[in-house]
Amino acid sequence: MKINAPFAEKVLCAFIREELHKFGFRKGIIGLSGGLDSSVCAALAARALGRKNVLGMILPYKDTYGKDVEDARGLARKLGIRTRLLDISPMVDAYFSRCPTEDQVRIGNKMARERMSILYDHSVLEKALILGTSNKTELLIGYGTIHGDMACAINPLGDLYKSQVRALGAHLRLPARILKKTPTAGLWPGQTDEDEIGISYSEIDAILYELIDERRPAKEVMASGFKREAVEKIEALVVSSEFKRKMPPIAKISARTVGHDFLYSYDRNR
Amino acid sequence: MKVALAQISPHLGDLEKNLDLHLGTIEKARRKKAGLVIFPELSLTGYTLMDLVPEVALEPARHPVFRKLAAASRSIDLVLGFVEERGKGLFYNSAAYLSGGRIIHIHRKAFLPTGGMFEEAKFFAPGRNFRTFTTSFGKAGLMVCRDFLSYGAGYLLFAGGADLIIVISAAPGRGMTARNAFATSRMWELMGEAISYFSTAFVVYCNRVGFEDGKAFAGGSFIFGPSGRRLVKAPEAEEDLVLADLRLEDIRAARKRWTFLRDDRPEVILRSLQRIVRDHED
Repeated sequence: MKINAPFAEKVLCAFIREELHKFGFRKGIIGLSGGLDSSVCAALAARALGRKNVLGMILPYKDTYGKDVEDARGLARKLGIRTRLLDISPMVDAYFSRCPTEDQVRIGNKMARERMSILYDHSVLEKALILGTSNKTELLIGYGTIHGDMACAINPLGDLYKSQVRALGAHLRLPARILKKTPTAGLWPGQTDEDEIGISYSEIDAILYELIDERRPAKEVMASGFKREAVEKIEALVVSSEFKRKMPPIAKISARTVGHDFLYSYDRNR
Repeated sequence: MKVALAQISPHLGDLEKNLDLHLGTIEKARRKKAGLVIFPELSLTGYTLMDLVPEVALEPARHPVFRKLAAASRSIDLVLGFVEERGKGLFYNSAAYLSGGRIIHIHRKAFLPTGGMFEEAKFFAPGRNFRTFTTSFGKAGLMVCRDFLSYGAGYLLFAGGADLIIVISAAPGRGMTARNAFATSRMWELMGEAISYFSTAFVVYCNRVGFEDGKAFAGGSFIFGPSGRRLVKAPEAEEDLVLADLRLEDIRAARKRWTFLRDDRPEVILRSLQRIVRDHED
């Protein structure tokens, strides 16, 4: 579970630089929430691409996340990257005035997809590629909105557990306030992933590491000292969120089919 | 003898761009007075080819890219990786040794990793041979990446009298540790140290760098001398052209000290293997 943060930084910066340059881009664009993941991603991008080539989009809903906006701005100032702030409430409210709901998940998902839509529009406007910020913990337990915050051109953080992202953030000298932040999907104010799942992030990461990286059967993981309910819960989350990690299945009826046996690399001829 | 390890990042599926990358690197190595320059596995094509395999495959004896490389080999020996087509439709993950304007040896990768993140046997036919051949530096043998992790393959080059074991690789880095390197890099070095020590030969390992579909190729190319001493080590995950002087007299010195080659009993190994193969049950 331990990482060598300077080495991880070197590899991830090379990844960001190389993937963008291969596709003819110089600039990266990141949705800045003021949280840990997007801050680490922005810091890596600033080092990889140069601070002038990174745009942080700060996309709050009204002033619901007041301190987070300040944290995002403060980080951008520290990194010397450009920012643009846009309140998403007019777009989100316009939709829910026609389809009213109290369902916080629906509202949260809509906000995530509104931000995605703005990021993709700015991606064209700025000739920049979107850098994703979903970490390995979120990807595995499905804590992300499909086609929302999970949408991106490349994802530098997707193979780092939350606790590893934090270690990398400390190495990158992010502000202490950001390093200490409680992980949240940001679906509604005050939401925290840990409250929702009922297991601490360090425990989630430790269980995932055993199940995924070490490929140990759940029974063995329980026997090694983790609570049965916690292991079962994590395993169920991983299984039930498989669809979020895959392209949608295509019904195969021809001899050669996209997604089945039309097999080319993403980086083909780059 | 000066060897150059070209720790490059090839362009996936683009022979022309990669030819330019090779010729440019060859020129740099030549200017630095290297007598041999080694490129990584599939250096002419990139690694994650999948359905591109037939599109970049070539017959080296008659392909213009190889004519240019052969011409470059008049002033410096070359080892490189490419997709070889034989018999119209059989594709191999091959390594070629070029010298004096011609191809003097081709090795076809025998161990095709298939499982986990690897799927080479879906796209390539397996080679069936490990042979040594004569170069101006002594007897050499070639291996491609996963071949090297079979100690049986290493033994065959040793038994064939190799002075120089050349491994070309496209090994992705896997696993983070507290070290300033991928966890898997240790595995390659461990084999390099062991094989060089027990075969009293130089082991030269050239791995690529760069990213394909998010996979980071680890670099970390190295050379071990014939008594297991590491002579040079390239950085992990960054391009480099590493040069090292190989004192060929070290081979004789190592064999005076350790008589592994003299004491080898290939006929005993063969007889035992024949029995094992005959009695093998699935």
